[in-house]
Amino acid sequence: MAYGGGNRTSGGPRRRYGRRKVCRFCADKKATIDYKDIRSLRYFISERGKITPRRISGTCADHQRKLTEAIKRARNIALLPFTASHSLERG
Amino acid sequence: MRTYESIFIVHPEVVGDDQTAIIDKYKTILSDRGAEVLKVENWGVRTLAYQVKKQSKGCYVLFIFDADPSVIAEFERRMRIDEMVIKFQTVLLENGYQAPAAAEPEAGSADEADADEADADEAADVAEEKAVEAEASTAAKADAAETTEEA
Repeated sequence: MAYGGGNRTSGGPRRRYGRRKVCRFCADKKATIDYKDIRSLRYFISERGKITPRRISGTCADHQRKLTEAIKRARNIALLPFTASHSLERG
Repeated sequence: MRTYESIFIVHPEVVGDDQTAIIDKYKTILSDRGAEVLKVENWGVRTLAYQVKKQSKGCYVLFIFDADPSVIAEFERRMRIDEMVIKFQTVLLENGYQAPAAAEPEAGSADEADADEADADEAADVAEEKAVEAEASTAAKADAAETTEEA
């Protein structure tokens, strides 16, 4: 994992459940998850194009599933990249 | 009759009349089989997130239509053999599609709600910019007035 598993020499006790962020879509009833709206989907993918995990983005389970489906649909239709290294290939 | 949404990407070198010809062709394919086309949107040429058939740009077209499930197979078959369509995706819209009421954000499908929110955000940004500009210009005018009074 990114934080190296059992390395407890620095940082003291492990963070308790991180931030208690509210799901963006539960808080804002009007916000819809649409695979065509890549501007809002971009918040939920990393720089490399990977889908950010729920514990980082704070979305609830239901919306995370819909988000994932939307991101994958957008990837299929070339609105979002599968990976960041696409742009390096030319020709 | 279910509501479907189909996005397809037309080869970027197809422009103008040819482009409208392709869009009309697929519209007729749908309507000939009893499908009701609810919305046609041409997003124009956009950069693709990754190369498709060695192209880095493509023209996106969006169809929203009501159809029988049997129509979809034929529709996609025609798109598959067409060389000018480089990618397509058909999605079932579970909640149907509500045609927007004259750019009001109340009754709208996901697309329209997003578009309206985007427009509202943009309008708010533009309004903010104008307000800032107005303040700056009035401040400048006030400064100019003060200097002329002093002189």
